[in-house]
Amino acid sequence: MSETANLAGERPVLDPALAPPFPQAALPVLRNPQLRKNVTHAIDVIQGKRARLVAEKDDWQALRAAGAAMKDHVLENLGAYLEEFEAKCTAAGGQVHWAADAGEARAIILDILRAEQAREVIKIKTMTSAEIQLNPFLEAAGVGVFETDLAEIILQLGEGEPSHIVVPALHVNRSQVREIFARKMGLPELSDDPKALTAAARSYLRRKFLTIPTAIGGANFLIAETGGVAVVESEGNGRMCLTLPRTLITLAGIEKVLPRFADLEVMLQVLARSATGERMNPYTSLWTGVKAGDGPERFHVVLLDNGRSRILARHTERQTLRCIRCAACMNACPVYRQTGGHAYGSVYPGPIGAILTPQLEEMRHAQSLPYASSLCGACYEVCPVKINIPEVLLELRAQVVDQERKQAGRIFDPMYIGLRIANVIFARAWLFHLAQRLGRMGLGLFTRKDGWIHALPSVGAEWTQTRDLRGLPKQTFHEWWAARQKEAR
Amino acid sequence: MNRNRSSRQQILERVGAATQAAAPAAAQLAEAYAELPREYRRRGAMGAEAHVALMIERLREYDAEVVECAPGEVAEAIAAQLAASGKRKFVAPAGLPARWMAPGFEWMVDNDLPASAIEEAEGVVTAAFGGVAESGTIVLHHGPAEGRRVLTLLPDWHLCVLGASQVVETLPEYFARCEEAPQVVTWISGPSATADIEMTRIKGVHGPRFLHVIVVRDEGREGNSN
Repeated sequence: MSETANLAGERPVLDPALAPPFPQAALPVLRNPQLRKNVTHAIDVIQGKRARLVAEKDDWQALRAAGAAMKDHVLENLGAYLEEFEAKCTAAGGQVHWAADAGEARAIILDILRAEQAREVIKIKTMTSAEIQLNPFLEAAGVGVFETDLAEIILQLGEGEPSHIVVPALHVNRSQVREIFARKMGLPELSDDPKALTAAARSYLRRKFLTIPTAIGGANFLIAETGGVAVVESEGNGRMCLTLPRTLITLAGIEKVLPRFADLEVMLQVLARSATGERMNPYTSLWTGVKAGDGPERFHVVLLDNGRSRILARHTERQTLRCIRCAACMNACPVYRQTGGHAYGSVYPGPIGAILTPQLEEMRHAQSLPYASSLCGACYEVCPVKINIPEVLLELRAQVVDQERKQAGRIFDPMYIGLRIANVIFARAWLFHLAQRLGRMGLGLFTRKDGWIHALPSVGAEWTQTRDLRGLPKQTFHEWWAARQKEAR
Repeated sequence: MNRNRSSRQQILERVGAATQAAAPAAAQLAEAYAELPREYRRRGAMGAEAHVALMIERLREYDAEVVECAPGEVAEAIAAQLAASGKRKFVAPAGLPARWMAPGFEWMVDNDLPASAIEEAEGVVTAAFGGVAESGTIVLHHGPAEGRRVLTLLPDWHLCVLGASQVVETLPEYFARCEEAPQVVTWISGPSATADIEMTRIKGVHGPRFLHVIVVRDEGREGNSN
């Protein structure tokens, strides 16, 4: 196995319980110019297309407002809409299951597969299945899992991890894809032309679509009014999985429900424009239960809570559940642009991941993520359902600080000591002036001729390792003002 | 099953506790729903001719091949497209008008054909439920002339016949035309595509790689939309 081929060379950890903190996890990408180039290129392309298509919609802000209000309405009445969905879906021939957490969802799905005697499944890309780590679980249980989205095939065959929720393999370039496909599909002559690579995936999957009778997918929207489910995609692999198998299992978060069929008129207008910069994605499918003679004979929906009801209970954080997984926030984020998705140590990267992951983990893991942001607000500006991500980030930061405060030993942390001292000094003018004088003398020792501090010793080095610090000016504003007044007199 | 039932209760209780104490009455819920803001553009501003022209322009941007014809010329237009395709073996939905199945080609009519048989077809001819000009979207409700979902999925070549009067300008206008929610829908906006490798757009991954559309002019009405 050659070095360049295996995406798993340094396989990133996307389990928040095991992943290293963000600043540490970001280092492999920051040190890999090729990876950074791949990420920036992909983001620039999507961002450009999105900006053009959003600009042509003169009712864009009205659509955002409608989308946000609709989602808030659903969340406020979630129980009623879930029960309505369940009743309608059941009446249409579907079977609805409820999973309180990831383990339960996995068990329900495995039970269905066992009852079907399914030894293999085909899958539509679904972030929710990645969230509950379904694939490794099924494989350990002896079920062969075949991802069918092109990016997911690249990652599955290359043993890599997703770094984006819409284009999960955006960090992989064509020569890496060529190498993976050539090796895993047994096609040594394959060229690195994306067209040839796509054709290779098409023929690799064709037989699987036609022969594997069980499929697992997600849902972009659940329709309470009808019990319908909608899936938004581009390649047609989704349509294959939704149409050809005998049995279809849909795994969906409980927040995915919309009141009525016609509400798609808002969501379908904002989703593709935000996600891929298209007026509409090539294929959107909607089905309701089981239709005789057309599509699967058996249809299961697994409704997943897994921490969502806890988020629902919190005032500021509830808006996190409006998310329609378009990824516009990560494409707009200056931090994601530098680090790529793996640094977030979760299947949900970027700004939405920074607020969603710690909450799904009940703030027990991923505490570094609320800090993985400059709070510039670009994510809020592009969000099609107006999630105020910076506001939620601040709320979560406050919770992280509260947690840390309770930890014994924090009392001796240099940062906490420093902040406590600063608290005393900043509250008293005379101490503040004294500190300024002492600071000027002390820092003067490290200030170079260019007026900048390039290196500090001990704890100060943590700052100067990655950035320079402006030396303190010779005079404070107060001193300058006093001197000026004196001169004038 | 038992475990499942208790999870249902547990989730609904948690959700209930997180939101309002009491579940809202149906009337209350409907009232709150009716008050949701909908300031976005719901009706198109163009005339019918302009939005049909926009539909055609959008389809062409998706690399779909579009021709127009008069209501009386549909069969001829189909025959011409079939002949130009260089393909021989076609599949047709059970409810496709018989005169649309041009002679001189091999036709399989879908009376519950197995997927393996549909896979053999080189192309498919269908009608449509409607079109949305703004996004160049063709909508199938999979009625008798539109075919089961699998029919427009496996063949590599799809010829769709779309009446000009079926086209609306905006997506909300399409939803307004649906008297009741259809059981299955496919919204098609250009041929199957991916940009997963270096954001290079590649046409044709799993669905049909070639989309042809015949827009049937609507002679009865001029100028006005709807």
